[in-house]
Amino acid sequence: MNAAENSFEDTSTMRARMPPQGAGALILERLGHVTDPHLLFPLLAVLILIILWAATLHLIHVERAGAQGTAQTSVRKLLDTYQAQVVRALREIDQTLKVVQFTAETDGNQVALPELQDRSLLPPTLLFTVSVIDARGAVVASTAAVHPATVNDTSYFASLRDRPAANQDIWVDPPHRESKSGEWKLLFSRRMNARDGSFAGVVTETVDAAYFVSGYEPSMLGLEGVLGVLGTDGIFRARRSGDAVSAGETVDYASVVHPGSGGEDLPVFLAANPWDGVRRYTNSRELYDFPLAVIVGVSEQEQLATTSHDRRIYLERAGLASAVVILLAAILGRSSWQLLQSRRLASAAKVEYAERVEYLAYHDGLSGLPNRSLFSKILTRSIKLSRRHQRRLAVLFLDLDRFKQINDTLGHEAGDQLLQEVARRLESCLRDSDTVARLGGDEFVVLLPELGSGEYAAVVAQKILTLLAEPFVLVGQEFRVTASIGICTYPEDGQDEQTLTKHADIAMYQAKEEGKNNFQFYSEKLNANSLERLSLESSLRHALERNEFLLYYQAKRDTASGRITGMEALLRWEHPDLGIVAPMQFIPVAEETGLIVPIGKWVLKTACLQNVAWHNQGIPDLSMAVNLTARQFSDENLLADIAGILRETGMQPSLLELEITESLLINDVNKTLRIMAGLKAMGIRIAVDDFGTCYSSLSTLRQFPLDAIKIDRSFIRDVSSASIAHLHPEKPDLADAIIAMGRSLSLTVVAQGVETKEQADYLRVHACDEVQGFYYNKPLPTEQVTALLQDQKGSG
Amino acid sequence: MSISFPLRASSAILALTIASRVIAGDIVVVMGPSATAMTRDQIANIYLGRSTVLKPVDLPESSAVRAAFYKKVTNRDADQIKTVWSRLTFTGQGQPPKVLPDAAAIKKVLAADPKAIGYIEKSEVDATVKIVLTVD
Repeated sequence: MNAAENSFEDTSTMRARMPPQGAGALILERLGHVTDPHLLFPLLAVLILIILWAATLHLIHVERAGAQGTAQTSVRKLLDTYQAQVVRALREIDQTLKVVQFTAETDGNQVALPELQDRSLLPPTLLFTVSVIDARGAVVASTAAVHPATVNDTSYFASLRDRPAANQDIWVDPPHRESKSGEWKLLFSRRMNARDGSFAGVVTETVDAAYFVSGYEPSMLGLEGVLGVLGTDGIFRARRSGDAVSAGETVDYASVVHPGSGGEDLPVFLAANPWDGVRRYTNSRELYDFPLAVIVGVSEQEQLATTSHDRRIYLERAGLASAVVILLAAILGRSSWQLLQSRRLASAAKVEYAERVEYLAYHDGLSGLPNRSLFSKILTRSIKLSRRHQRRLAVLFLDLDRFKQINDTLGHEAGDQLLQEVARRLESCLRDSDTVARLGGDEFVVLLPELGSGEYAAVVAQKILTLLAEPFVLVGQEFRVTASIGICTYPEDGQDEQTLTKHADIAMYQAKEEGKNNFQFYSEKLNANSLERLSLESSLRHALERNEFLLYYQAKRDTASGRITGMEALLRWEHPDLGIVAPMQFIPVAEETGLIVPIGKWVLKTACLQNVAWHNQGIPDLSMAVNLTARQFSDENLLADIAGILRETGMQPSLLELEITESLLINDVNKTLRIMAGLKAMGIRIAVDDFGTCYSSLSTLRQFPLDAIKIDRSFIRDVSSASIAHLHPEKPDLADAIIAMGRSLSLTVVAQGVETKEQADYLRVHACDEVQGFYYNKPLPTEQVTALLQDQKGSG
Repeated sequence: MSISFPLRASSAILALTIASRVIAGDIVVVMGPSATAMTRDQIANIYLGRSTVLKPVDLPESSAVRAAFYKKVTNRDADQIKTVWSRLTFTGQGQPPKVLPDAAAIKKVLAADPKAIGYIEKSEVDATVKIVLTVD
């Protein structure tokens, strides 16, 4: 068994060594795994996700940077425009103030405005209010319908009045709220001087603070942008975000405008504006001619709104795509994995099934040992190895001696149990390299592949016998089993698997013949006997089919008259090669193999048919004697078979005489009696053949319903040497005694083997009933016997 | 601190109701005698500074006719009109119409300048001007 496993392992190890070697191959193999779908899909998914997110984030970054750049550029341009607009508006106001100032100074306070109005030198009254105020603070003229009467309490009036005459700068008043409408107003003012330089009043121009931020373009600045004019004093003159206009808040001028930033270099910066906390891209610039700065800002949130929106969409799409990719990868990966698993399972199952089938094909189901096929392979292989290495090996053929009996008495289950235990014991006493197999039934075979010497095989055989001799416990009972072992060795006893097995088998038979529970080595002589026997046995099996049997008949005569009274049927075998084979040569084999039963039936039937045929030919009734062997006699169907043959052939039962051996009277008396009673019931006569050889007693004979005894030919031979009783009366002879005994039991006494005239005379003298022998007739084929009978009939 | 414009609407409506009580008849848009009829949209565009082909003239801000005219033609009140012209003036795209004291002054300007356009009460119309649109 182990050897068998080794052989399978060999092939698998060889397969395992097949893959290419070296680091490169290893890497290729690893890479090969990557292309497995269940790994490939997740890897691809990861790759796709990396690319996807890198692209998305890059896009977002680029867009954001672009949006920032755009915002900065746009703020700078807006500031340029706004600055230009504010400066122009301021100059227009300043120009108006200068014109009014000049006119008033020259032509008088009262007439200045109407004069200028006529010449269209005043700004539209819808937006601007121009006033002329005298040195005492009284408003002497105004383009507005309603205006305060005096302004002498205002800070601008006081400041302009108190400043030196040479200071001709425009006054930009902090925003004030108009009391009536609540609107923020911006007031610009100039000082008027008299010819002597003294203070002559002020000229003012008022405008809505909203005017300076009316250029707010929501399409450019959004709802959260800022447009503003901030005084260098930190007070907002006007500020607008969306539609909301305000003024008057104070902020840290430096932090918003950066002093001295009149140039173009002031960068657009992103910060939360201090006045409302909104983060804006803001740019501001201090004006050259006025104490003011302009501020433009756009809301970061608004400017990047599109970008943020796009960013969210990109992120959402990327997220969605990622989810889809992951889902797909998961589904594909999972199904691939499942597919792979099911393939693996299927192939594993296939392999397992194949292994199982192979195992079943090569192993005995009961014992788990290798079976005949596998053993044959292993032996063939071992023979090859032994031949190559010039080694010897031994085959031990083992057969249990009483297995059939155990099987019959305890049942097959116990028999199987016994076989399993035997298998276990055999395995336990062998080396790993040895093989034990079960060939079927109770036959086991052991292979010793590495045989040092013949003695080792004997040692093993003895070890097995000893081990098996220990009692087995089956169905709660102890049993002892012995085995017969035949041993043959390679190369001495055979060169191939078949021969070795056969010779081991033959040696085993020899061991059986030697009385069982022993082992025998194979020899050529054993082989010869066995071969002859085997040949005979197989020929016998076919003899009936091929009609090779035939019957000879030997006449039985009445001693007194010398007339033929009956016939004895004698079996002959006409072998196609050997010619006529005598019964003593093949009957023992037929007995042993059980072939005697069908052969016996054939004999009986043929004899009966012949007898009936003679009867039909008008020949007077003849008794027909047929021999039964012990085996036939104990055959269960004997009575039924005979009855059937009688019925079939129409033979008169009273003419049939069955000859049995004397040994039957001694062994198993009861059974013999039962059968005899059956025969007698049919009206058949019973004769004891070869009487006198078994020393059966008179009392024994008396028990049986016998009709005749046939004196054994040895007693008749004794009377041949002229020891005629009357010549030597002091020497009583056994033949006479037997005749006397038979007569006393009213049995017909038949002498057989009568070969001489002396014997015939003796028997006539001693009144033996019937005689038979070469002296009268030797056994003859049917035609000659028929002729003989016809002659007798003719002679009347 | 800041006061937004929309809050000013209520006072504008108040002013309008006061003004409309003063108006008796229809207001008409007039031009010189050679003029042809115009649509309200054309007039509105002119008075909102969107069209600069003609030269519009206005009545004083205190005029009820002016308020009614603007309300009916442009659907805007005085503050809104001021905002419009404020933006146009600041951005340099235009100047508010020239303000004339009364219908007579308007008729005089119209008669002299065929490109001038004005509005007056229908009752003020005479042969010197031609009605291009009647505002109702």
